[in-house]
Amino acid sequence: MTRPVSRSAIVWSIVRKDLAEYGRDKLWAFLTVMVLVVVVVLFWLLPDDVNESISVGVSGLNDPSALATLQAAEEGLLLVPFESAQDLEAVVAGDAAAWHGDGYTIAIANDAADEPPNGAERISTSIGIAFPEDFFATTAAGGSAAVTVYIDAAVPDEVETAMTSLVRELAYAAAGDELPVDTLAADQIFVVLGEDRVGNQASARDGFRPVFVFLILLMEMFVMASLIAKEIHDRTVVAVLVTPATIGDVLAAKGIVGVLSGMAQAVIVLIAIDSLAPQPALILMLMLLGAVMVSGTAMLAGSTGKDFMSTLFTGMLYMIPLMIPAFAALFPGTASAWVQAMPSYPLVQGLVNVSTYGDGWAETLPELGVLLAWCVGLFAIGWLVLKRKVQTL
Amino acid sequence: MTQPAILVDDISFSYGDNEAVKGISFDVAPGEILGFLGPNGAGKSTTIKILTGQLAPKSGRAQVLGADVTTDDPAMQAQIGVCFEEKNLYESMSATENLRFFASLFGIRDLDTYDLLQRVGLADRAKERVSKFSKGMRQRLMMARTLVNTPKVLFLDEPTDGLDPVSSQAIRKLIQQEADRGAAVLLTTHDMFEADELSDRVAFLNEGKLYALDTPESLKLAHGKRSVKVRVREADGVREQTVSLEDATAGEELKAAVGSAGLMTIHTEEATLENIFIEMTGRGLEG
Repeated sequence: MTRPVSRSAIVWSIVRKDLAEYGRDKLWAFLTVMVLVVVVVLFWLLPDDVNESISVGVSGLNDPSALATLQAAEEGLLLVPFESAQDLEAVVAGDAAAWHGDGYTIAIANDAADEPPNGAERISTSIGIAFPEDFFATTAAGGSAAVTVYIDAAVPDEVETAMTSLVRELAYAAAGDELPVDTLAADQIFVVLGEDRVGNQASARDGFRPVFVFLILLMEMFVMASLIAKEIHDRTVVAVLVTPATIGDVLAAKGIVGVLSGMAQAVIVLIAIDSLAPQPALILMLMLLGAVMVSGTAMLAGSTGKDFMSTLFTGMLYMIPLMIPAFAALFPGTASAWVQAMPSYPLVQGLVNVSTYGDGWAETLPELGVLLAWCVGLFAIGWLVLKRKVQTL
Repeated sequence: MTQPAILVDDISFSYGDNEAVKGISFDVAPGEILGFLGPNGAGKSTTIKILTGQLAPKSGRAQVLGADVTTDDPAMQAQIGVCFEEKNLYESMSATENLRFFASLFGIRDLDTYDLLQRVGLADRAKERVSKFSKGMRQRLMMARTLVNTPKVLFLDEPTDGLDPVSSQAIRKLIQQEADRGAAVLLTTHDMFEADELSDRVAFLNEGKLYALDTPESLKLAHGKRSVKVRVREADGVREQTVSLEDATAGEELKAAVGSAGLMTIHTEEATLENIFIEMTGRGLEG
């Protein structure tokens, strides 16, 4: 028998139907699982450490104290002593491998059968500086010394120029002379624009984390857009609307399915890449807002798509600009004003700050506020466009 | 007097500059089948869309079960069943799942899907996905979906269009059963035989205007010839004779023909609904 049915019961019926359809769409189900697996595997394959030093091989500095002095003076450079200029040249040229042990480095030619010493660690260096034996004596006496700089062809020109300048600086230091420039106080020399991440740099794994998580959300956008486009194209939604179900029920169900599935997948990935632990509630809040945002975008894309290809194309139009902030996050400090104005920026930046740098609720409030505003805006636009589309069927 | 289940009073609708429905009025009583006859683009589907709340009329008044169709009244929606011309079923779901989903929108939890599918001859395909169904099977499932809430008013838009004779007959039988149960049926079709067989009354619609609204019998009597064609086998072959019922000698002539040992056939010469439609609108039903 027919009996009065509540709005929530109708919405729940449509949600269950949408989820069933979602699970039965073999193509999207396959793509969803594939992206989930690929993202998790890629994440764990990425390096999780950061080498903040440039390895520079040096030869001709027989006095260990001179090497130590230079090392102390050049922060960010790892000076590796070589026994001879020939060894250094062979390593930089790639003809030999360098093995570094306690206070020594030896070069073993690639075609030699020699075994590296026990405890030695292989190091790579693409820059070498060969000092002449009498470098310190000559420069201290005010004379001129010829220093050979070996640089791999792949090293950028800027680094090559910097190395040449470094050698001149070393020569001044060796001669006991001050550099002919006035310097500011130590704490005033470096002016860092933005947040100073020296000593706290993000690894490749950290950098890609928001990219991967956002990719999952965007994948969800494609699936939702496809389901909506299919419902419109097949006009099944018209059949639903001549029952006690209203257009508001249908749209509410679409929103719930989009947010639920987006959230669920994002959380699965976050758990799989061990990124939920630092601030679970805060990260879940960011994910919830992100899922709402992509659901609104899916409604927009689904309203205009007609089949798989057109939905894919329309979805790409929304996906590409939304992905830009995620890639910008790989290079901290590079996001220009227009990138920061993108709806996805506060989501990505919030994720980076929370998961990589351990920010809390207070520090993330600005991102949450902007993201919430974007979510409300995009969801409202998506809702209205889809409603208009359904009404004109 | 019985309250009409459907009451339409001078409604109009336009798609931009194209006036699809031009001030039509009619009503349908409970248990009555009203056949809406007209060619494609006559305004039949637009009228159904207005009555089911999908479109709002530009002018006029329309009520279903006493409720104004523009109010989007869930109580009214709960008592109607709509069978669309397009086969808008969920293809990835089975026949049973489709019926259960729509039943849930009406708040029905104990739907006997087997019984419903049996009525449309799909009981043995209950678990099969709709994507594997033929056109006829889909149409029969559409009809079953229309009946999940045992509606008091049925809107059937070309329910047998393009179907094989067996499927068409099955659906016609179902429509008649529903009318016998007491449901008011608004049936749009451009199949004159279907309209003639099922309809208590027919309405001729063309270019958005209502040209006629009466019982098929009355229309045929009003527009047909009152004559009978008699064929009798005789020694020198078959003789065909047209007897005008207007003539005073008609009774005698018919009596003689019926009494003849060689009587083969007697046919009335009444007009078909299609002939009447063409006569009134100047165009055929298939256009």
